[in-house]
Amino acid sequence: MQGFDMSRRTFLGVFGSAAAVAGLGLAGCGGQQAASGSGAADAALSGSISCSGATSFQPLVEAAANDFMDANPDVSVAISAGGSGQGLSQVADGSVQIGRSDVFAESKLEADQCENLVDNQVCIVGMGPIVNANVDIDDISTEQLRGIFTGEITDWSEVGGTAGTINVINREAGSGTRATFEDAVLAGATVPDTFRPVAEVDSSGTVVEQVAATEGAISYVAFNYFETNDQIKALNVDGVEPTRENVESGDFNIWAYEHMYTRSDEDESTAAVTQAFIEYMLSDEVQNGAVVDEGFIPMTDMQVQKDAEGNVTPVA
Amino acid sequence: MAKLMPKRRLENIGLGITGACVALVAIVVIALIFMVAQQGLTTFFVDGIDPIEFLTGQHWIPEQDTYGALPMIVGSFAVTLLSTLFALPIAIGSAMFVVEVAPGFGKRVFQPFIELLVGIPSVVYGVLGLYIINSLMRSIFGEAAGTGAGILSGAIVLAVMILPTITTLSIDALRAVPNQYREGSYALGCTRWQTIWHVVLKSALPSLMTAVILGMTRAFGETLAVQMVIGGVERSMPSGLLDPASTLTAALTAGLSNATSGSVYYHALWSLGLILLAMSLVFILIIHLIGKKGAKDNG
Repeated sequence: MQGFDMSRRTFLGVFGSAAAVAGLGLAGCGGQQAASGSGAADAALSGSISCSGATSFQPLVEAAANDFMDANPDVSVAISAGGSGQGLSQVADGSVQIGRSDVFAESKLEADQCENLVDNQVCIVGMGPIVNANVDIDDISTEQLRGIFTGEITDWSEVGGTAGTINVINREAGSGTRATFEDAVLAGATVPDTFRPVAEVDSSGTVVEQVAATEGAISYVAFNYFETNDQIKALNVDGVEPTRENVESGDFNIWAYEHMYTRSDEDESTAAVTQAFIEYMLSDEVQNGAVVDEGFIPMTDMQVQKDAEGNVTPVA
Repeated sequence: MAKLMPKRRLENIGLGITGACVALVAIVVIALIFMVAQQGLTTFFVDGIDPIEFLTGQHWIPEQDTYGALPMIVGSFAVTLLSTLFALPIAIGSAMFVVEVAPGFGKRVFQPFIELLVGIPSVVYGVLGLYIINSLMRSIFGEAAGTGAGILSGAIVLAVMILPTITTLSIDALRAVPNQYREGSYALGCTRWQTIWHVVLKSALPSLMTAVILGMTRAFGETLAVQMVIGGVERSMPSGLLDPASTLTAALTAGLSNATSGSVYYHALWSLGLILLAMSLVFILIIHLIGKKGAKDNG
């Protein structure tokens, strides 16, 4: 029975010191908060939320979350990867508070699963076609792109280049980047079953590498990948350069929102933190800071908007 | 404490703990089979996809709701068989050298060396394959190879990966042949080559077969390295060795991050998992059959 006594004493000791440390920690936090007072800090904000989903703008969310947690020391935002599909299903079934997605929830979830989801569009990603640096064209029309990505056009001479096989590299089925590109370029045309790309790869980094290494290759990536390799070349589409300004004005049409879905019926214990984090994402500090730094386009200057069906209308 | 405990109680505790371990393993296996089957069969019973069409369909295009697993089944079998074909002669050859010709060198140098290969994570093989094998394919075959990704690249990378498994097990198999067999053969005036070919290899055959099947199981289940070099094209049937393709495992991992739970696509991916599970059961069955036959042959 002496063993039991010992363990109780140890237990009390451990607990006591833990409580002491926690108390010190809390006191420390309070001091910091009073001192910092920057960002969207709400004095009483505390709790932990998790955010999973699309990897494409994860670095942006991570950067914002770090600043957010610095300003609100009692808040923890856990960010994990997993893809748009996982992000959407996890926010729909309530296992995370925020689900990141490259596409509208309606395109992946059943209507009844979308009911309580709130779409927070936090920034815009522009995408453009890229080719191997040896391909000798600089401009391509949407129609030509449609022909290439449905397998009707197979040689560079058909689009004004030097003769050579067009090697189409696609993203994998279900990729948000691919969905955005196909929505804008295919305009409803279905890709025939017989069409075979030379590769379907599962990340934009790999796309860039493979396009750089493969003669006559064509694919598509977000703007922030254009400068990552000098063996690739971004093409103008219908004479319009793929730039932030052209996306904002509506002249360049291959772009999508980055969504952070939340639930309208979220549990009260976390709702305040989630809301504050989303507001922080949309604040000027992030929109003109991390969003631009990470190569995305802020929501603030957009003159056009897209709905879930892909219809583009001017911002009122 | 233990000293004070009656012996029978100690026995019972031992029985309880070991029994619980067995029960735990059994529960995990059963739960796993049940889960995969439940999700995988939803495709056929709830979503209404015809299982025959699923297995024989030549197109896998999720955005058009076309789910035919044949391109991946063919891809998996093609890379598995090809890689075994590449690895087997090298594995058996080096096993013969190590056991019959230079046992000292084998134990001290070769075996540790080959065991090192087993420990290398598959992503390393994948990266090496992506940069070396794929660019080799491009420079050998030119335009026909596309990005260099394809069944052949996948098979070469897999061959390197399963080589240590097959070699190590073959070495064990040859070592297990009793020395009397060799001495008997030499006494009859056979040369070393005749002894190896007619006596050692023949009596080690069942264990060698097991080595091959275990290698094939590894190749069939390997995901990451293959996914990186095979090209990942699932939408239609590959038509040649240089054609990009996909395997069951690669399609499953690539798809899961984009599929939302509860969708037909998600269930179809689980059905691919079910096919994989069924295939590994077949492989295990074959190993058991070989083991039984081997035991019978050796009396």
